[in-house]
Amino acid sequence: MPERIDYWGIPHQWGSPSILVYSVMFLAGAILIFRFYLRARLWWKVGRPESRWNKLHIRLYNLIKYSIVQTRVLRQKYPGIMHIALAWSFFIFFLGTALATIDSHFFKFLNGTVFSLYKLTLDLFTVVFIVGAILAIYRRYVTKPERLTYQPQFTWSLILLTVIVFSGITTESLRLAVEQPINGVWSPLGWLIAQAFLFTGASEMTLTNWHLGIWLGHLLTAAFTVITLPVGSLLHILTGPVNIFFSELDRPMGQLPPTPTGRDGQPVYVSMLNELTWKQILNGDACTECGRCQDICPAYGAGLPLNPKDLILGIREMLEETKASPKENRYDRSLLENPKLSKEVMWSCTTCAACITECPILVEHIDTIIEIRRHLVIEGMIDSELQDALTNLGQYGNSFGQSPRKRAQWTQEFDPPIKDATREPVKYLWFVGDYASYNPALAEMTTKTATVFNQVGLDFGVMYKGENHSGNDVRRVGEEGLYEMLVEKNLSALDRCQYQTIITTDPHTYNTLVNEYPFPEPQTILHYSELLAQLIRDGRLQFSNPLNYRVTFHDPCYLGRYNGVYDAPRFVIKSTGCELVEMPRNRDLALCCGAGGGRIWMEEGNIQERPSESRIREAVKLDGIEHFIVSCPKDITMYQDAVKTTGHEADISVKDLIELVVEAL
Amino acid sequence: MTEIVVIARLVPDLVEELEIAPSGTALDLSWLRVIINEFDNHAIEQAIILKERSGATVTIISPEAEGVEDMLFTTAAKGADRLIKLTGIGEEKPTNLSLAQTLATMIKEMNPDLVLNGVQAHDDITGDLAPQLAQLLDMPYVGYISGVSLDGGKAKAYKEYPGGILAEMEINLPAVLGIQSSEEPPRYVAISKVRQMMNSTSIEEIQSSELETESGVVIKRMYLPEAAERAEMLEGDEKEVATKITSILQDLGLL
Repeated sequence: MPERIDYWGIPHQWGSPSILVYSVMFLAGAILIFRFYLRARLWWKVGRPESRWNKLHIRLYNLIKYSIVQTRVLRQKYPGIMHIALAWSFFIFFLGTALATIDSHFFKFLNGTVFSLYKLTLDLFTVVFIVGAILAIYRRYVTKPERLTYQPQFTWSLILLTVIVFSGITTESLRLAVEQPINGVWSPLGWLIAQAFLFTGASEMTLTNWHLGIWLGHLLTAAFTVITLPVGSLLHILTGPVNIFFSELDRPMGQLPPTPTGRDGQPVYVSMLNELTWKQILNGDACTECGRCQDICPAYGAGLPLNPKDLILGIREMLEETKASPKENRYDRSLLENPKLSKEVMWSCTTCAACITECPILVEHIDTIIEIRRHLVIEGMIDSELQDALTNLGQYGNSFGQSPRKRAQWTQEFDPPIKDATREPVKYLWFVGDYASYNPALAEMTTKTATVFNQVGLDFGVMYKGENHSGNDVRRVGEEGLYEMLVEKNLSALDRCQYQTIITTDPHTYNTLVNEYPFPEPQTILHYSELLAQLIRDGRLQFSNPLNYRVTFHDPCYLGRYNGVYDAPRFVIKSTGCELVEMPRNRDLALCCGAGGGRIWMEEGNIQERPSESRIREAVKLDGIEHFIVSCPKDITMYQDAVKTTGHEADISVKDLIELVVEAL
Repeated sequence: MTEIVVIARLVPDLVEELEIAPSGTALDLSWLRVIINEFDNHAIEQAIILKERSGATVTIISPEAEGVEDMLFTTAAKGADRLIKLTGIGEEKPTNLSLAQTLATMIKEMNPDLVLNGVQAHDDITGDLAPQLAQLLDMPYVGYISGVSLDGGKAKAYKEYPGGILAEMEINLPAVLGIQSSEEPPRYVAISKVRQMMNSTSIEEIQSSELETESGVVIKRMYLPEAAERAEMLEGDEKEVATKITSILQDLGLL
């Protein structure tokens, strides 16, 4: 019966090789732990305290899901397969070594069929590793995607891993060549290479000597990799899982944290390295530099100063500067002075959440950006357009600088008038939002929506001048005090109303109502696409005129990525008889229109291609698309402009979901 | 320390549609909301800039009105040191002369080096406030100033004249200046800062002396501009008006 032999071919005259192996590896492990400790203690030493030890079962689940199964890594095919091949093969090698240790010292079980299967698995994963390594080499040295970091440490990591695997398989094949065990073919790759060694006609002695040399090389390379792990690009093997384990669990993505307070009870507006929390600093050390966030960021794509990857690495950079001069112990370094974290960078973010949806190790970019924006707002470091918008919002409750009494001016044409929900009970309270209320170009869409509601006999009302801007984007601009003021105003208006369900046409309003408003009682809040879908399912909304358009649909960030409402608008579109063709970037991959996070109020800056233009170009590439369907008032203006500036007026037209409904009725 | 006093007034907000009161001689104030007089806002900004540049104590005086506390706390958040609300203002707007008399008595005691005020307010019916104040304080006055700097006992001020001429003038202190615009546009101040001020600062209240509401000027009729006969008013909503403008331009051969 074949069985595992401890240290085949390794001379025993200096005692058991175990002493050598365990001494070297324990020493390497100790160095690893010490070096990692040196790094990790800085997170807590420099960063602001924040408790992330609750819900351990979910943290453990996340650890398995994101750092072992690596579901986020697998969102992208090529890099996903590449990374899985490298990571999983090493998981298996690690497991294989651990099992060998158990077999050797504690419980002999690697014999017979189990041993053959054990060898087969290890051999197969060697092949898997080789596939991964070839993919990695091809990617890093041939296709060279822009998003990767091209530094020698990545090459070194790849070399070290490859040397470990190759020396391992060579050691094995040399043993097979000499020993020629009956289960040799269960190590197919090793057996194949063994045939090559036999073919050279080398003596058993020579092969055994080579075996010893390469085995030693294997051991020392592994030890060297372990020792250098905390200072190289493989550090993410440790920091990635730690970052995943401590990821945010208490807030949904659509809820920002309130302004934190320091030990002195004063609010903390983050502008210094040591004002970040330890977790925000850990984000910097955990970043794998995969560049997925850079690839998907609408601001970066538009040529704006923000690169989410650099933003996070900027934090790491500053921590390293701190480490380089430990005597000074200067942790109060201004983040904004680092060009990767400048105020222009902070203002470029549209808060679309594509980066945090894509990040394989759950880095939380947006929380950090908003906290720094809060500092910029307090210091008045905002552009004049944003200043006007915020002043208007503070003064009038809308960004347009119009009288609150004009908010419901669009209702004038309705007879009987649209119910005032602050005066009489309604079933559905419609939170209309600023753009739909004040933008003259959108008045038509708003009245169409009201007309549809009337036609299906919906008992609804609006709050007239009682409604204020919901504050979603005010909060994302970093004007927390103004946000709180708007919330207070809206909650006191809502408190005066009797209603069962809040409906809104604006995904931004939807997000803050669902995730952030401190309602005293649980609420039912629907986006109009969800309401329309419900009405269709209940048979209250019936279409007599199927449209037969070929259309595509743009997912608004605050509806899709933030709140997972993907199917309702698609169901409505299909119900109107349209054929829906998806853009390549759909659902949680949807590209932001560029208006979110208060960007709609800011100066545009030096932009190369607006995200909205990139989006329209993406849509017109689809075959025979007539209409670009949106379900957010801001999207109508953003994309109507983009259709004009890209010169595609003849090819495609922007339509709101409600227009399809009206046409199909 | 340089003492700067700024007088800041709240005026009808033109965002609302103006309506004439049934009397026909005044605005209907029942619906009207008030907002800081824009020129006064620039005067405040100029005062804060001077404080930041070379140190000063900035006092803001505001006649009472709805929302005046919020406005005063906002100035404190910007950097004003002392907030004063002038109480005892009746329903009817006092004349600027009597307001100036009350203010002059108060301001004299403060021994200011510089008194700043917006050069005008759109509800000034009885003359501009600042020059009347300067007369009563027996201080020099220059109006339509856009930018001030302090140098010892003198102020250097910039004033634009029609035709693109800019004058740089030296004024002996103490002086009253009517500000048209500050050097930098008025800054934004975060609401949380204003709210913080509400908890940490207080507003002094000073009772005004008896204020006159009548002057030698009598308003006989107040009315919204009427369309002259030769003007054609385009009626309708934005879209209709836009269509009409387009067709007019087309008729004129301009499109």
